[in-house]
Parts: sequence; C-alpha cells; structure tokens
Amino acid sequence: MTNRPEARRQGRSQTIALAAFMLMQAVAAVFFVADATRDLFEKPPGAHSIIEALIAVTLVAGIFLAGWQLRLTLERMYAQEKALDTARGDFIRIIDTQFDDWGLTPAEREVGLLALKGLDISEIARLRGAAQGTVRAQMTRIYAKAGVSGRAQFAAWFVEDLLGDGIGRPDDAA
Amino acid sequence: MSDNANTGGGAKVAPPDPWDPLVRISHWTIAAAVIINGLLSKPGGTVHVWVGWIAMSVLAIRLGWGLLGPREARFSAFPPDPKAAVSHLLSVIRGKPREYPSHNPAGAMMVYALWAMLAVVIATGLIMTDAKSPITIAEERAAVEQGDWSSLANRSAGDDSDDSLAQSDIVKGVHETAANLMLILALIHVAGVAVESHALRRNLVRPMIKGPPK
Repeated sequence: MTNRPEARRQGRSQTIALAAFMLMQAVAAVFFVADATRDLFEKPPGAHSIIEALIAVTLVAGIFLAGWQLRLTLERMYAQEKALDTARGDFIRIIDTQFDDWGLTPAEREVGLLALKGLDISEIARLRGAAQGTVRAQMTRIYAKAGVSGRAQFAAWFVEDLLGDGIGRPDDAA
Repeated sequence: MSDNANTGGGAKVAPPDPWDPLVRISHWTIAAAVIINGLLSKPGGTVHVWVGWIAMSVLAIRLGWGLLGPREARFSAFPPDPKAAVSHLLSVIRGKPREYPSHNPAGAMMVYALWAMLAVVIATGLIMTDAKSPITIAEERAAVEQGDWSSLANRSAGDDSDDSLAQSDIVKGVHETAANLMLILALIHVAGVAVESHALRRNLVRPMIKGPPK
C-alpha cells in the first residue's frame, strides 16, 4: 500500500507529459500544415511540396497515435484503480463472512482484523486500550473458534482462500 | 457503468474527478490565450497572431479529444441540452444541484458557447490576416521595414474596391464582437463555477488544476 501513491504519481506525470507533448505536436502540426498547404496552392506541386505534405500527414497521424496512447494509459490507470478497490472490498467481505461464520464477538472481530493486518499483541493492546493479557486471551479464543493452531495458520486460512479456487465457503470451515 | 455512479444519494456519490491531463492543459492554455489576446496583446500584432494560432491548434486537439478521449472528455458525456441546463440552474438556485460525472448541463452549454465563439474569433482572425502564419507575417514586416515593399504588392493588386473594404469591416466587426462576447461568457463561466462550488460545498477549480484527488 505504501508504494501506491508513488505509482499513481508516476502514472500521472506520465499522462501529463503525454498530453503536453500532444499539444506541442498540434501547434507544430498546425503551422506546418498551413505552410505545406500554402506551398501546395501557390506553386505547382513538386518533390518539395509532396515531401512536405507527407511530413504533414505523418505529423497529424502521430498526434492521433499519441492521443490513442494517452487514452489507453488513462483507461488502464482507471481500471487498475477500480480492480484494486474491488479486490480490497472483496477481501474485507470475505473476512467478514468468515468471522460471522466462526461466531466471533465484535471485540474478537476487531482483534482478529488487527492480527491479520500484522500487528503484534502489544500494539493491538495499545490500540484498543486493553491489557496485553486480555488481547492474548481473545486471540486464543479466536484461534479456538477458527480451529487453527496459531497466528500463522490463522492468516494462512485467508490467504489460502485467495490463492485457491474461490472464497471461503461456510461448509469448508465446518 | 458510469450511470450507477450518479444515481446514488448525496454523500454516497464519490466526487467526480473527471479532468484528464489533456483537458486540463488545453483548458488553461485557452484561458490564457483568451486573456492575452482579449485584454493584453496588440490587435494585429505578431504576438496576437501567434497566440491565435496556438489557440487554434489547442482547440483542434480538444475537439478531437471530444471524440477520442476518455468518457468524461467526450462530447457524449455532455450533450447540448438547453432544457436540462435550465432545470440544472433551477436546482442550483434551490441549493440541491445534482452531481454529474462530466460537465453539468448548464456547464455543457457554456462549453459549447465558448468553443463556438472561439471558432468564430479564430476564423475571422484568419480571414483578416489572409491566413498567413505569424512567422510569415513577421518575415513580411521585417522585409517591409528594410524597404522591400513587394509583399504589399499582392494586397494592392487584389481589388481594393469599396466592396472588399466593406467586407473586411464586417469581418473585423464580427471578430471584435465575438471576442467581447467570449470575454463576457468567460466571466459568466467563472461566476458559474464559483456558485456551483458553493452549492456543492466543493472546490470545482482544484480538479481542473491538479487532476484527480488523493
């Protein structure tokens, strides 16, 4: 999660650079196309004006390509953002369902979630303003309800679901 | 997919962050061009023509982006709809404006009006300068200053009858009227953004400068 804003900023400056480049190209193209058109009409078409027309066409095509690229980049950024949100939302939902299934109390749910986030007993105790002994007892009850032997298995329970072919089905837990 | 983004009630709607970099850069470039050419630069001067040509290319790109760009930048996201514009203005007065993923209907009408004015100003400007690029104009002026008047020959060769003089007066009048109209529209546009920002309790200018929040 820590490198997300970084990645986003990078994607953003990339799109800004692309957009600025497109506009510069457009300014250049307008001048060049105007010049080429003028030459084409004022003099009889020769090799010079044909090459100029070719360059003008290439330049305009380049702008369209850059625009297309920019749009793809923007759409990709948008899709990634959405996928990430969906995944995060789904994961929370999976955890919630599973906690329901195990019949955790509200306090146990909170402790369980903090434990999944990787906080240790003393940190959880400090966050919840509870004694470490209380948290340890809650953790033990959670492990008992989940039928796991300890924190590693507890965390693995959810990761296994993510890696396997589906989300925690209530019958699997039973 | 975008439809369910604005059907939810009030606070549930995520504030839209619709402006991609190209929309933002072109918006501010054109704003700067309007201010420079409308208020600061000398009409007919090289700077004036330069700025006009840059505005022309930026407008062209933006219109292309209206077909090619991401959903919020496309014309289809803000169709011209005077009826919807009026009802949106009424909802702003009542203090309960709806959120839109792109321009709101009133804003959309303003966008088209501004683009149309811009197009008129650019077109008449091109007619007045004989569609000469600022580079050509600068070159010709330098030549004339050095005593070479041949570039003026073409102009006097063409019939300088009363007809064409009257015509160029009309073009000039249209150019100036449209430019003034555009400045007035721009002022209304700024006022509209301020009112809408106040009604939505959200700074609408920030996304146009910085892009998506977070």
